[in-house]
Amino acid sequence: MDGKERMLEAFALREADRVPVWEMAFNEESIIKLAAFFTDDLPPLKFAQQMTPEEKLKLIGALFTVIRELELDGISSISLMNTEPVGDNLVRDGWGRVLRVSEEGEATAVSGPVSGPADIKDIKPYHPEQSELLMLMAAKGSFGEEIAQVFVQPGPFRESWTFLGSMEKLLFYYIKNPDFVHALARLATDFILEVVDMAVELGADIIGLDGDLAFSQTTLMAPDHYYEYILPYHKEITERVHGHGKLIFKHSDGNMSPIMDGIVEAGFDGFHPVQPQCMDISEVKAKYGDRLTILGNIDCMHLLPFGTEQEVERSVRQTIGAAAPGGGYIISSSNSIHPGVKPENYIAMVKAARKYGSYPIDVEG
Amino acid sequence: MEELVSKLKEAVISGEDTDARALVEEGLDGGMSPRDILERAMMPAMEDIGVRFSKGEAFIPELIVAAYAMEAGMEVLKPRMSGAGEGGGKVVLGTVAGDIHSIGKNLVRMCLEGAGFDVIDIGENKTTEQFVQAYKEHNPRILGLSALLSSTMLHMHDVILAVRAVDSDARIMVGGAPLTRDFADSIGATAYAQNAFEAAVIARRL
Repeated sequence: MDGKERMLEAFALREADRVPVWEMAFNEESIIKLAAFFTDDLPPLKFAQQMTPEEKLKLIGALFTVIRELELDGISSISLMNTEPVGDNLVRDGWGRVLRVSEEGEATAVSGPVSGPADIKDIKPYHPEQSELLMLMAAKGSFGEEIAQVFVQPGPFRESWTFLGSMEKLLFYYIKNPDFVHALARLATDFILEVVDMAVELGADIIGLDGDLAFSQTTLMAPDHYYEYILPYHKEITERVHGHGKLIFKHSDGNMSPIMDGIVEAGFDGFHPVQPQCMDISEVKAKYGDRLTILGNIDCMHLLPFGTEQEVERSVRQTIGAAAPGGGYIISSSNSIHPGVKPENYIAMVKAARKYGSYPIDVEG
Repeated sequence: MEELVSKLKEAVISGEDTDARALVEEGLDGGMSPRDILERAMMPAMEDIGVRFSKGEAFIPELIVAAYAMEAGMEVLKPRMSGAGEGGGKVVLGTVAGDIHSIGKNLVRMCLEGAGFDVIDIGENKTTEQFVQAYKEHNPRILGLSALLSSTMLHMHDVILAVRAVDSDARIMVGGAPLTRDFADSIGATAYAQNAFEAAVIARRL
């Protein structure tokens, strides 16, 4: 069984030969640190948005080396949107969003093309370009059908608030101006559908819809607001993906319990990452394991940055025991392999997944 | 008077900023003191929404509109307050080095402003030296530190040590997703708040 088959079996909620191992994201520094275990051919350490096309290719090459050497079952790609530098660590994308790039994670929007309900009519929709999906094309070219091609795209909530440059502003309008919230979501969803069509055409097997909807204690918005402002757009996106014969999961950190029924109703096939600080994977498995594939859960907040390799192994063993029996579980960190993660711990996580992840599972959760 | 207090409380809780402003004016015209308005109506409204938030009956949009309504009321109240004792005083707030996340800090700022504090938000990704500089420049009643990442929250300890070297009595509050009360105690923070409402309520008591 190859990596792609293994991932698809997990999405079919069946047991494969072993638990698939995959990661939603590595960032520049982590890729370079991990790849250094296997190669010297590495790009200089800087943000992808600031790299030349040649350096971006080298970074992608280093990521492929990590995936290949660790025999991961899937690879994740994102759109590397065309941007222009507009200041110190600031770039502007095709929508006119100004993003701050950071060594600690994804770029964050600091201002957007819309300031409020009055000027949404002036926004000029941006259409994705195939060249922005370079990473997916390169992954498909390098791995073909051997492993699953996962394409990660921000969802309508995240795209909407980045148009405003502030999540707080969008959440303010949730109460003060529902029509404006829907207008932003419409704009975002039309763009996302275009990106999804393009990603599928370029070989994506699975779409990951990014953008947190929760924080450590609960969801950012009331369940009613999720049903009103987000779920209809999620449904459009999942239907489009399923129409292409592909799969889609929702990513959100935090405690998503209040809206998990909505995630199922929206038509998602899976949920990532079941953040261990706020959700219990055994409970999620018991309640949703017959309808959703579960991805993630290995703590990258404390365990992978500060724990020992033995502690990592123990956590992997326990998580596999809790989530893998019966199939429908893909192991990954609880968010991403960020610069704080010890590379040795990530490698220990992958090794432990192989040690305890063969079906039938004989460890307990 | 009681009816006005209850109406104002309700206006803040439901995020009706125009009503909140008008009711504060009405209260002042009717002879209520700014302190009375703040302590009998506005702060209890904040505490009430905090309780609803903890119980999962209110979420961030409700927090944001309530904070705006508080702020609208405070704009009327502040010029009538006699000094820092009533207003709450100054807070210097920022996110520590390496961390560009702003959402949590911004929510805390809204709640603190709503609770009558003058907040000097020095922004994100601020070094220990920048915190010390801001502390010396503004001499705040409270310094607030925020972090979203487990890797960056460790810088909070450095900031606390450096600021206490300047002022051994400095009141320093910390918060952010990866933090726990134990962590806050271990780095010598004066106080820890689990969410933005709690930050405002605790800050009033410090």
